[in-house]
Amino acid sequence: MSNKGARVSNKGARASNKPINTLSLYFQREWQLMFRNTSSLIQPLVFFVIIALLFPFSLPAEGELLQRIGGGVIWVSAVLATMLSLESMFHSDYQDGTLEQMLIHPRSLSLAMLGKALAHWTATGLILTLFSPVLCVTFNIPNEQIWVLFAGLLLGTPSLSLIGAIGAALTVTLRRGGVLIAIVILPLYIPILIFGAGMLTQSAQGLEVASQLYALAAILALSITLAPFAIAGALRVTIN
Amino acid sequence: MNPISATWNFLSNTYHRLGSPREFYTISRYTTPVFGILFLTLSLIGTYFGLFVAPADYQQGDAFRILFVHVPVAWMSMFVYVVMATAGAIGLIWRIKMAFVVTICSAPIGAAFTALALLTGSIWGKPIWGTYWVWDARLTSELILLFLYFGVIAVYYAFEERKTAEKATALLSVVGVVIVPIIHYSVEWWSSLHQGATVFAEGGPKMPTEMLLPLAFMAVGFMFFYGYALFLSMQNRVLENEHKSRWVREMVISQGKQ
Repeated sequence: MSNKGARVSNKGARASNKPINTLSLYFQREWQLMFRNTSSLIQPLVFFVIIALLFPFSLPAEGELLQRIGGGVIWVSAVLATMLSLESMFHSDYQDGTLEQMLIHPRSLSLAMLGKALAHWTATGLILTLFSPVLCVTFNIPNEQIWVLFAGLLLGTPSLSLIGAIGAALTVTLRRGGVLIAIVILPLYIPILIFGAGMLTQSAQGLEVASQLYALAAILALSITLAPFAIAGALRVTIN
Repeated sequence: MNPISATWNFLSNTYHRLGSPREFYTISRYTTPVFGILFLTLSLIGTYFGLFVAPADYQQGDAFRILFVHVPVAWMSMFVYVVMATAGAIGLIWRIKMAFVVTICSAPIGAAFTALALLTGSIWGKPIWGTYWVWDARLTSELILLFLYFGVIAVYYAFEERKTAEKATALLSVVGVVIVPIIHYSVEWWSSLHQGATVFAEGGPKMPTEMLLPLAFMAVGFMFFYGYALFLSMQNRVLENEHKSRWVREMVISQGKQ
């Protein structure tokens, strides 16, 4: 009798450990945390806009030049804004001990980290992407290229969050990890930058951009499948 | 016992002996000088044939002779990265101490090879292309490789505790090896001025034998230089890591008496 009861409760435990539950649980948790601290939602966006606006000030005020480099500028700003938000990704969880609880919990750590990274993307990359058309207008980028840039950012920024989380996880225990994240992560961002910004150059010349979109999608598929394991591994290494 | 299993036993025995810092130290004291001598002989032969025997290029004249340094170091810059990441993966999976030492000692050597490849390339580029630097695919991806090496080195020195630092470094080098082919192809499709594959081209090498031979000597010679530099640096690090263990102390005392 008691044996049966144990089996039932065991089943219940297993049901709550379903992969999708782990994923959505951590995703929701991140969202709740972010809405209680809205400054973390606004900061990357403000940073993104300020960086992008520094370029027109530092370059000769020629409309045609700005139009040509606008796409690249927006991409670089998105990369920098994502990178700056990475440092705080695991920081408070590490400080209050939540991260250690995640590590010893029987739930899949990789899936939990996937949920966390995706939530990070919705708070940084997605918001930047949604706002990018406004910046495009200030750079006088033609309408059809705005859509090209939008699609590129939408496919590219999730990879930025996922790959960046590996660097954030590696440096979470360090007191000044910010510069180290930049050194470790920026070289890994280069392919995404090349395909994303290259798309705009191609479409400005009236060429097809499908191949670059496929490449960005391939990188995204790779980072969704592999990065969570690397993030989990990095956390297991750095937190004893 | 048949010869195949005997060889296998010998190899696995040597491998496991190399996994222990003490055994590695003993073995490497004999092999390191051999690597050094092989490097010197092979690279001297290669230099002689490269500078005096190989014919001048029909387009570039004598300027092409920097190839005998440039191409081997460029190969080595990538080879060292693969060795570093493989050792990192071995260390993370089987928890072998010496594998981490290979990873950490390889990083500065690989960075040096990469920097040399960039330097010799830009010296070669000035007379032939008319510029020291172009944002070309090969050059750019080699530069990114240099920064990846810097990242690996920076991570190791950022951690205070050695074991954490070793594992973090190994993990980063494994992540890097997944990314390196992606970087390579992304940059390749983006733009290229550098000549394509010449030695490993389809339908055999597009190079006369008088040029290929010294190149092969130099390439193998530099491989031995890597082994030499790696083992020297590993010996140092083993002594540093194991300075509290008994064998190191006994060795230091017995050498002091001599």
